[in-house]
Amino acid sequence: MRPTTSAVPPVRPVRRASVLVAGVSALALTLAACSSGEGVDAEGLEDAPDPSASAEDAAGGDAPAGTLVAALANTPDQFDPHATTSQASFQVLENVYDTLVVPSAEDLTFEPSLATEWTTSEDGLEWVFTLREGVTFHDGSPFDAEDVAYSLNRIIDEELANAFRFTNVTSVEATGDLEVTITVSAPTPNLLANVGGFKGMAIVPSESAELDLATQAVGTGPFELVSTSAGGVELAAFEDYWGEGPSIEGVEYRYVGESAAALTGLENGDIDWTDNVPAQSIEGLAQTEGVELGQTGGSDYYYMAFNQTRPPFDDVDVRRAIAYAVDRESITEAATFGAGTANQTAIPSASFWASDYAPFDQDTAQAEQLRADAGAEGLEFSVMVPDSDEPAVASAQVVASQLAEVGVTMDVDTVETGVFLDRQGQGDFDAFSWAWVGNIDPFDFYQAQHLTDASSNFQGYSNPEVDELLTQAASETDQDARKDLYAQAEQLIVDDVSYLFYFNPDVVEAWSSSVSGYTARPDSAVNFETVTLTD
Amino acid sequence: MKTYIASRLAQAAVVLAGVAVLVFSIMQLVPGDPVRIALGTRYTEEAGAALRERAGLDQPVLVQFFSWAGSALTGDLGVSFRSGEPVTALIVERLPATISLAVVSIVVALLIAVPLGTISALRPRSVVDGVATVFSQAGISIPDFWMGIMLIVFVAPLLALPTGGYTPLTEDPAAWARSVVLPAITVGVTSGSILTRFVRSALLEAADSEHVRTARSKGLGRGTVLGWHVMRNALLPFVTVVGVQLAYLLSGVVVVEIVFSYPGLGELALQAVQARDFPLLQGAVLLFALVFLVINLAVDLSYAALDPRVGTR
Repeated sequence: MRPTTSAVPPVRPVRRASVLVAGVSALALTLAACSSGEGVDAEGLEDAPDPSASAEDAAGGDAPAGTLVAALANTPDQFDPHATTSQASFQVLENVYDTLVVPSAEDLTFEPSLATEWTTSEDGLEWVFTLREGVTFHDGSPFDAEDVAYSLNRIIDEELANAFRFTNVTSVEATGDLEVTITVSAPTPNLLANVGGFKGMAIVPSESAELDLATQAVGTGPFELVSTSAGGVELAAFEDYWGEGPSIEGVEYRYVGESAAALTGLENGDIDWTDNVPAQSIEGLAQTEGVELGQTGGSDYYYMAFNQTRPPFDDVDVRRAIAYAVDRESITEAATFGAGTANQTAIPSASFWASDYAPFDQDTAQAEQLRADAGAEGLEFSVMVPDSDEPAVASAQVVASQLAEVGVTMDVDTVETGVFLDRQGQGDFDAFSWAWVGNIDPFDFYQAQHLTDASSNFQGYSNPEVDELLTQAASETDQDARKDLYAQAEQLIVDDVSYLFYFNPDVVEAWSSSVSGYTARPDSAVNFETVTLTD
Repeated sequence: MKTYIASRLAQAAVVLAGVAVLVFSIMQLVPGDPVRIALGTRYTEEAGAALRERAGLDQPVLVQFFSWAGSALTGDLGVSFRSGEPVTALIVERLPATISLAVVSIVVALLIAVPLGTISALRPRSVVDGVATVFSQAGISIPDFWMGIMLIVFVAPLLALPTGGYTPLTEDPAAWARSVVLPAITVGVTSGSILTRFVRSALLEAADSEHVRTARSKGLGRGTVLGWHVMRNALLPFVTVVGVQLAYLLSGVVVVEIVFSYPGLGELALQAVQARDFPLLQGAVLLFALVFLVINLAVDLSYAALDPRVGTR
């Protein structure tokens, strides 16, 4: 959720007769002021020189010193890692919990965390994880295989937010004190991403049933949750952490929705770190004394999708006409002020899974030809965009002007996020435009969106060849063969314009020069474990 | 007097029941499926169905209403399905912040309005009056989000004040004052500007009445006339307006709270709307209605104290 301020000043009734009316109009105002929403939180952004890379960790074995103040643009909804879907919650939980494996900061390949090693059986149906010794939870209880089995089974049995990642999993069992066996019904090459992609699959203690995980957190991570309040959260360094342990005493998160306040606080020294950096302020910040800017290519992507279940977009040539009419560079520039990379596929170029497939360079003659051949004279349609997402709205406006040049009228229909999701689910749109966040494995990029009748295939795309390739790829264990299958599926998806992909926004964060050892990560995870503070 | 209070309380109960029905019905009409919003991009049919069942949203609307209203009577406003915490706890947690802001804002508003309004009224159409009018017009016209941002960007660094957040009074009184002052000025200037105009016209009207002319012609001093005959008579409408302003501020000042990352009720209500957190929003709106009713009642009862004529019947 990205709260924005309303431009409507409150109305203050002064007459006595309107006392109750005032109450009701306060509600109406609240409803009207609701110009932002939940969901895709594509904060994001790419490679400016990374200032933290040169800043080496100076602390070494010294006692932890200082509390880092982090200003979050959004407010977490709750702290149960298995139940929340809020990006802001994970910006806190990242530092509190651990998963079996973690994506590396550089290229998001999986590294050991609570699991030190793992093996896969010949048939690919059994994964055995060896767990780390000597790990303790924040409450002092020792960590073992029961905790892992409890945590993952909790997600599956209670059908919590990430249960869908375990559809292939038939059992998670403790097969030793420090050994866990996961059995799957079909080879699942992306199992590591499914158990360790982010802290949604965090390991909680097996006694968690007695805890209220929504407000309490007992993890094995470098920091423990001390207190939560309406305005923020406090974390303290965990002394018995299994890794090197933080070199700061704690982190104080504050929820600062107004970017002017976050950035002023950063310049004043009130705030040490923030993700509340609007694209238009990047340039100014880069020149601000005492402020470091972290910018790295992100794995989110923006796109437009067309309703393929009815005319005119059931005709692939009409969709291709649109694809030839747009210029992604200017869309990216307008939407991200340059803090993004145009892409004709979903997967960012830095990823192992990326291909350089790019068949649709802007060609207005081709666009007009295709449209004329398809008999779509005077083509007019409306694109639905969530009002909470500025880059999505800006993209749509640029596309509308580009389409106008080839004689296509596109109305930008900016709707409240809740309404957007509702209409999307009901198929009540000509086209819609938004973003998807936090993807690592190609399965996450394409499966749910482009497989026939898949849960997020709102556009009604269906290509048996794509279905075949995606299904095969999902259980192909040879990495190169799998990459090749996804590349083939991707080409068809792009050619058929199931989605019209625009760009990958950068991850952009800013911090004070007194902070060192921090890096903006491509998966936008916020990790303060290796940070040091100087004056 | 007792029957008067009893009948007013009965009225309040009816109004509250009406508000409860109204709020619940409006929630049903707001487009946007709460489950879809709660799950966001991680929505799947299965996850949606599970959450719907847990939150009781699969029940018929009437069943949902009566089970909610029933427990609301016992002070249990249900569980927020965004955060999983009891609604009552979420609201109570934010009350101190909201009350602090409302009270300090009203003080700021009165400090502006009473002197300024009185001076204006004493010399209508003079230069002083003109300046006061311009000031109050400006105060009403400046959008509070803009003024808040200006205070954050220019005043906060200058006076080393925090750019947002809230420190509880019980934790550190000095830090509390520092965290409340800028938001309170933002709200207080607008409220104060409205009140200034009100004080001026109330005083002018009272000063124009026959008993004041009589008092003057009796040869009473200016001060006595103003203090005893004008101000006391202007007090009733003034208290009413201040009461309404206070009730308004206690319902949370959404825009200012968001600009200052101030954890008050307004921000909570906004979050609830965005997340379609029905239990939380219903609870918050019910509380707002209650605040208006209570303050309204208190204002009415204060009439009797302020003006002996009101109590005698």
